[in-house]
Amino acid sequence: MSTEEGFIRSRFGDTDDAVLTLLDNMIWPILGLVIVGVLVFVPQTLRNVRSVQLLLWAAVPLGLLVLAESLCLLSGHFDLSIGSIAGFSAMFTGMLLGTCPSCWNVVSSPWIGFGIILVAGALIGLANGVMIARVGLNPFLQTLAFLIIFEGAKTAMQTQPVTGLPALYLDVGGTPNFAIGVLLVAFLAFGLLMRFSRFGQAVYALGSSEKSAREVGIDTSRLIIVIYTISGVLSAIAGLMLTGFVGVVPPLIGEGLVFQAFAGAVIGGISLFGGRGKITGALGGVILIQLVQSALNNSTAVGATEIQMINGFVLLVAILLYSTQSKIRSRILASGSV
Amino acid sequence: MSADDATSDSESVAQMEAPAVSGTPKIRVEDVVKTFGRITAVDGVTLDIEEGEIFALIGDNGAGKSTLMNILSGVHQATSGSMYVDGEAVSFSNPSEARAKGIETVYQDLALMDDLDIATNIFMGQFPMKGFGPIKYIDWDETFERSGEIMMERLGRDIDLNTEVEFLSGGQRQLVAIGRALAFDPEVIILDEPTSALSVDATRLVQDTIETLSKEQGITIVIVSHNIESVLELADRIGVLYQGQLVDILDPSETGLEPLNDLMTTGTLREGIRGDD
Repeated sequence: MSTEEGFIRSRFGDTDDAVLTLLDNMIWPILGLVIVGVLVFVPQTLRNVRSVQLLLWAAVPLGLLVLAESLCLLSGHFDLSIGSIAGFSAMFTGMLLGTCPSCWNVVSSPWIGFGIILVAGALIGLANGVMIARVGLNPFLQTLAFLIIFEGAKTAMQTQPVTGLPALYLDVGGTPNFAIGVLLVAFLAFGLLMRFSRFGQAVYALGSSEKSAREVGIDTSRLIIVIYTISGVLSAIAGLMLTGFVGVVPPLIGEGLVFQAFAGAVIGGISLFGGRGKITGALGGVILIQLVQSALNNSTAVGATEIQMINGFVLLVAILLYSTQSKIRSRILASGSV
Repeated sequence: MSADDATSDSESVAQMEAPAVSGTPKIRVEDVVKTFGRITAVDGVTLDIEEGEIFALIGDNGAGKSTLMNILSGVHQATSGSMYVDGEAVSFSNPSEARAKGIETVYQDLALMDDLDIATNIFMGQFPMKGFGPIKYIDWDETFERSGEIMMERLGRDIDLNTEVEFLSGGQRQLVAIGRALAFDPEVIILDEPTSALSVDATRLVQDTIETLSKEQGITIVIVSHNIESVLELADRIGVLYQGQLVDILDPSETGLEPLNDLMTTGTLREGIRGDD
C-alpha cells in the first residue's frame, strides 16, 4: 500500500472544505447580499411579483449572452462578438420582415423569420469557429474583428428603429413568462449538457488543456467550431428576445452587451482561463447583473448617464472577486497537496 | 550502420540475441524504417517484445526511441517494415487503431487536464454512459466506481477521486495517467520517460506500480527512457538505440551503467567493458 495512503482525504480541515465550497459557489451569498442591499436602498426594484417578473424578463437577452460567453470561456476561449451577432442577426431579420418604409419587407412569415435569425447567428458563429480552429487566428482578434464588422454592417443596414414586425415574431421575446421560460430551459439544458454529456466534459477538457484534450482523442478543432456556432445561435436568440422585449429592432440593439455578459459569467464563477465553472453559477451572475442594472435605473441617486460607468465598475469588481477567489483557492489547495 | 554492423565494430560487443524467449511475441517489429524527409529517424529496427515483460528502449537524444514509440502507438506510420501484435500483421494509422489492438501510450507530458478531478481525467473521452433509447448520459456513479477500482485495486493507491489533478505530486500524476491507460483495459502500455523529473520517492512509487502491472497483472510494458539507472532496476530487457538503429538488447543483470552509457553515446562498447566488468 502506498505510503501516501489517504493523502488527500485527510489533508483539508473542515474549515478549509467549507471555504472551498463557499468559493466554488460564491455567487449565491453575493447575490443574497445584493438582494438585501436593493431591498434596503431601492426597494421599489423588488416591490412585488410583477417587478420580479419584469426584472427576470429584462434579464433574458443578457442571460442568453452570458450562456454563450460562459460556453466559450469554459472552453478556454472567448467571444467578443456575441453582442454584435445578436444585433446584426436581429437587424437583418427585422429588415426582411419589417414593414417600415426603409425595410426590405421580403418575408412575411414569422416562422421563416425564426429560421433566418437562427441561421444568421449560426453562420457567423461558424465563421468565428472556422477562423479560429482551422485558420489559426487568435480568438481575441477574430471575435474583435467580427464585433466591428457586424456592428458596422448593422448600422449600414438601418439607423432607424425597425417596426412592423409580425406579432408572433415579437411574442417570443415579448411574452414575459414565455421568455423567462426560454431562459430557464436554456440554462437547465446547458447545465445538464455540460455535466452529463461527453460534449460538455470535452469542453471542460479543452478549457483545461487543449493539448491534453487532443492527446486523449478529442477533436479539438471540431469542438471549437461547434462551440462558436452554438455561441452564435444563442446570441441570435438573444437578439430575437431583445426584439420582442422592445417591440421593435432598435438601431443600437446588442451594443455594449458583451461587457455585461463577461461580467455575468465571471461573477457567476466561470473561469477566465477555462476549464472551471458551473452553468448554474452563471445564471446567478445574470440575475445579479440585471438586479444591479434595475436598481440603478430605479435609483434617484444615479443618473442615466452614469449607469455605463457603474457597469464598468461592476465588471472591475467581478474581476477582482475572481482574482481573489482564485488566489485563496490555490493557497488552500496547495497547502494540502503533497 | 545496422545493428549487426554495430556489433562487429567492436570485438567485445555484445551478442544481439536477447534472453531466451518462446512462443509468439506480443509485439514484433521487423526491419522498420522511418524517414522524415532526408533524415532517417529509425533505421531497420527488428525486435520482439514478449508478453508480460518490461522492455526498455533507451538511447540518447535523437537516437530514434521516441519515433519508434510513436510508430508502436500509431502516432507515426513506418516508412517501411512490418509490425505484428500477437503474430498478426498490423499497421496503425492513428492511436485509436493501436488502442483497438490493446496498446495504450502514456506520454511524457501525461496529457492530464489540471482543472479536472482524477476520475474525470481517467475516463475523459470514454465515459461509461447510461440512459434510455437514444438518450445517453454520463454515468458518474460508474465513472467514480471504476476509477476507484483502477486506482485502488490495480494501482494500489487510496486517492480521493474528486481531487483536481493540479494538486497532485509528480508521482501521483504519473499514476493517474497510467490509470487512464488502464481504463481502456490494455494488454500493452508504452510509457514515455515515466520517471523523468520525479523525486526519488516518486520514482520508487512509479517503478513499484510498473512492476505490479507487469508481474502481477500480465501487462506488457514498454518503457522509453534515457534514465539508465531506472531501467536497470526495472526492465527485464533493455534495447539500446543509436542513430536510429538497435545496437544491442541486453539483460540488465548482465550489464551496468557504464556499458549502457557507452552504447548510448557511441553505439559500441569499449574493449574490455561488458556487463559488470
